[in-house]
Amino acid sequence: MNPSLKFLLTLIISLELSFRVSLITNLIVCALALIFLLYKKIKSKDLGAMLFAAGLAAFTVFTSGYWFSDHPNLWYALDIASRVFVYTLTTACLTITTTAEEMARSLEQNLHLPSKFAYGTLAALNIIPKMAAAVKQIRVAGMMRGVYLSFWSPTLYFKAILVALSSADNLAQGMESHGYVEGAPRSTIVEVPLTSKDWLYFLAGVVLVNLCAFLLP
Amino acid sequence: MEKITVDHLTFAYTDQPQLADISLAFPIGQFSLLIGPTGCGKSTLLKIMAGLYPKYGGKVALGTVDLAGLKQAMMFQDAGEQFTMATPREEIIFTLENLGLDKNSYEKRLAKAADFAQIQDLLDQKIVTMSGGEKQRVALAVLIAMDVDLFLLDEPFASVDPVARTFLVDRLAKLRDQGKTIILTDHLFNDYLGKVDQLYQFKNQQVTQVDSTTRDQILSALDDIQLAFPLPAEKNLHDPAFVLSDLTLNPGKLLLKQDQLAIPKGKVTLLTGQNGTGKTSLFKAMTKLMPYTGSLKWERQEVAKAKERQYFSHVAQIFQNATDQFMAITVKDELAISQKGQHNPYFTKDRLEAALGQLDLTDHLDQVVYSLSGGQKKKLQILLMLLSGHEVLLIDEPLSGLDHKSIDQVLALLKESQKAMGQTIIVISHQFYGLNNWCDYHLRLADQKLTYVTD
Repeated sequence: MNPSLKFLLTLIISLELSFRVSLITNLIVCALALIFLLYKKIKSKDLGAMLFAAGLAAFTVFTSGYWFSDHPNLWYALDIASRVFVYTLTTACLTITTTAEEMARSLEQNLHLPSKFAYGTLAALNIIPKMAAAVKQIRVAGMMRGVYLSFWSPTLYFKAILVALSSADNLAQGMESHGYVEGAPRSTIVEVPLTSKDWLYFLAGVVLVNLCAFLLP
Repeated sequence: MEKITVDHLTFAYTDQPQLADISLAFPIGQFSLLIGPTGCGKSTLLKIMAGLYPKYGGKVALGTVDLAGLKQAMMFQDAGEQFTMATPREEIIFTLENLGLDKNSYEKRLAKAADFAQIQDLLDQKIVTMSGGEKQRVALAVLIAMDVDLFLLDEPFASVDPVARTFLVDRLAKLRDQGKTIILTDHLFNDYLGKVDQLYQFKNQQVTQVDSTTRDQILSALDDIQLAFPLPAEKNLHDPAFVLSDLTLNPGKLLLKQDQLAIPKGKVTLLTGQNGTGKTSLFKAMTKLMPYTGSLKWERQEVAKAKERQYFSHVAQIFQNATDQFMAITVKDELAISQKGQHNPYFTKDRLEAALGQLDLTDHLDQVVYSLSGGQKKKLQILLMLLSGHEVLLIDEPLSGLDHKSIDQVLALLKESQKAMGQTIIVISHQFYGLNNWCDYHLRLADQKLTYVTD
């Protein structure tokens, strides 16, 4: 499916189920998403970590909606808790099948978002692994100079922010030096197709979620 | 003949002008080389010509730059910072889309660029995983794909190995023969004799063009440094600093597979090898930044199992990128950190002051470290790490980006300290000026194996 439509579908499902209480729909969406993820051979370690993190969040939501509520309602509490899994699993379906490059291209070509937004986001994503490596290296560099930087040390974050700032500035210069001009027209070398089949899947998804959300409790 | 002109240009980042009233003319269709001490303003001039300054920093107080209508592109000193996308192929696509090209011309230009910089095998590799020299070759390839008229190259070969370097300088000369204009800065002059047309020398914020006789004199002066090293004797390997046995480094591709090797204690060992062979990765393994299989021992202790804090108080690395080493804001604060705690007894107050003078850093004590020039950062970084007094120093490209005067200053300091303290030093370097008479042994990394060599 086209990356932009996939993104929109995820967004619509998440938004709609945020406003509509339908526990069964939530569970159906979660189950379908889970089957899709398994079909796409997601690494069990990734899936486990994701479900664990989502589980923690869902548990917190559940306790505040049931145990600590003045008017406890089990069905409602389960519904809002399951929403956490809806968000996590549908987003995972998007990220596991789309690379950042495909997403940026699709946002630019299909949704006609400004290229600055598409490539700015992409560049920011590409900086993340660099930042993780930078933090590790900053800590080692500190130890080599007799400075122990714990994970809450201001120096660590000061250095990390400096790295990020200078990367951002260099990135802007780098993009410009490679011919990028804000707002200028760009050509398309790698096309992201948007077919009627994509639209069909998208509309079917939207209709099904709506039917379920309004018909099922 | 039409020329690119720089007319009475004065440029400043702060109150002190970086370039003062410079006037120059670069002939179009020729190969020009800019040389001069570190921090003299070569990079600044290129960034002004590339239209990046004053947009991204500094101020043009006076004067103009006229590129005579040529399309330009610049390659930065730190090539790794210039990429938006994750792989070379993606970056070239992004760039050519910016220029409004279609798919047909993209394929032709990609093939041409990949061939020019010999990066066919790297096209789909993630740029973050590449070595410094590989990134520089990719950056050059992007410029070739852009097919501009004017190439502005800021130390494009600082991390490129000698074989690739000679090859690329040759290729640039061919580009010039096809009518392109090339303006390049470098601290190493070998390979350029007979290839460059014009030589410009920066001195005291001024630039002068040298005549062809002086040009050839300068370019041939330091050619061919003969390397001659002994092999380490049995007795030196009796109580080694590092012992590698069945060590394998494989971060995505196999870099090293070493059955047995000892690196002597209290000696200086030069480590060389072509780009991307894994020299920096070996340092990463030695500093616990990269996992390995097999055994890598320092002082009979497995590096992977050593306690971080304790290990790094004995073993330290001088990183390729100087700012990675800084922890404070000003030069003075940095010195204070290194003097605190465990500190090299050789550097008394007087010796430190002498060293600062020797490195031309005395006037910069209150300056923010990040605003120093590339060469000044490097000099400060090396001084800081010498002050910390480690038993082992791993030094990655200590001389790249330094002019000959700075190299002499830095090496004098390293020599003094090593002689007095008997540190174990391993140096990665592509340039040998000054190193040939300092290093004790030479380890070469080729075909995933380290071997001691005599040349």
